[in-house]
Amino acid sequence: MVIEFKVNGKQVSVDAPPDITLLDLLRDYLNLTGSKEGCAVGECGACAVIMDGRLMNSCLVLAPQAAGSEIITIEGIHAPDGGPSDLQQNFIDYGAVQCGICIPGMIMAGEALLMRHAQPTRAEIRNALAGNLCRCTGYQQIVDAIEATAKGRQKAI
Amino acid sequence: MPRFDYARAVSIDEAVALLSDPHCVSRPLAGGTDLLVQTRHGPPAFQRLVDVSRVPEMRTIERRGDEIHIGAAVTYTEIIDSELLRETATCLVEAAQLVGGPAIANAGTLGGNVANAAACADGIPPLVCLDAVAHLVSREGRRDLLVSEVVTGPHQNALKPGELITHFTFPALPVGARSVFLKLGRRNAQAIARLNVAAAGRVSPEGRIDFARLTPGSATPRAVRLTQIETMLIGCTPSRELFEEAGAEAARAMIAVTGRRWSTEYKEIALHGLVARALRHVFNLELER
Repeated sequence: MVIEFKVNGKQVSVDAPPDITLLDLLRDYLNLTGSKEGCAVGECGACAVIMDGRLMNSCLVLAPQAAGSEIITIEGIHAPDGGPSDLQQNFIDYGAVQCGICIPGMIMAGEALLMRHAQPTRAEIRNALAGNLCRCTGYQQIVDAIEATAKGRQKAI
Repeated sequence: MPRFDYARAVSIDEAVALLSDPHCVSRPLAGGTDLLVQTRHGPPAFQRLVDVSRVPEMRTIERRGDEIHIGAAVTYTEIIDSELLRETATCLVEAAQLVGGPAIANAGTLGGNVANAAACADGIPPLVCLDAVAHLVSREGRRDLLVSEVVTGPHQNALKPGELITHFTFPALPVGARSVFLKLGRRNAQAIARLNVAAAGRVSPEGRIDFARLTPGSATPRAVRLTQIETMLIGCTPSRELFEEAGAEAARAMIAVTGRRWSTEYKEIALHGLVARALRHVFNLELER
């Protein structure tokens, strides 16, 4: 079936089977392989994308459910010149990235939070990451990076 | 060859027509947080999923006179963000806050939680505690069932093939009543409940309990109001001793249904404590969670 939606600001039309997940649609049909499949049951958040302004696990969204939606994937997060965004740069600067597989989901969870709460508390940041598992960093550096980004964006205003 | 087909319904009428199609075994799809996990474990028991997650009539939260109305496709995030529910159904909002992480709360729906009928569901004890009614529709017409009657056992519901939960209603709690939801999981976030409890109550100007509701979850195969304990509380003055007694009674009620199982050694003590703590919160004997 033909599935039409907007991904990273671009309108796309994909002919794909109705029984695949949005994650498979993004990775296998649109070549957007930044979103990862970790657990495939909604526990780990490695597949997280922002769908119509809300963080969603793309492994638990059926591909045709995305029709008519506006989706942002990790490929859509970058500075205007194509380099790392402020959040991504802070992940690097604060040592929030080790093996890296959870990072696309972590960045999406961070962005989804900052879209709604410009000045989150550390507790709110931790809560926003509740559905994203990281086995390397111990989370503190990730929380630090998101907190620093929120402060940086406040200063920029 | 796809394992199943997909159709998106834009109205309840359209959803009912699609679900009752005799040539195609169909099941409703809302948040997908349970259903899509199940489809990974073997061949699906349906030929088509009917997406009801965008049916506008199933997404409203409103007060109609003394009744609160919640669409079945309302997500946990929408429950958390609802001023009306924060005022009238604190236990349901607190349960929604403890479901999964943000991505699960953004997708999962109240109707899906009830239809999936997991014994550990967080949405069910608050609905049962609030005496919520599930409104069902199919080609045969409409019928209403108490939420406690929709869930008949673990992952078993009373829905007939082709039947759809459209919304829930419950009478607003009496003026001055409070409700709470407490949960025991293996960690704070994104945890499956080991035990949970919804409770509501009110104290009269004379200092006596004149309204009480108590519904543990994950304790028995289906969540029910423990009416014998509710009755026991009525007319009493709130005290720690009274709520300890209610906790012990709740643990006895659980064991009367389940018998002594491998988990009873833990659950007997834990439910006792959780019920006592929930009642202390409802009746303001404890400020810290």
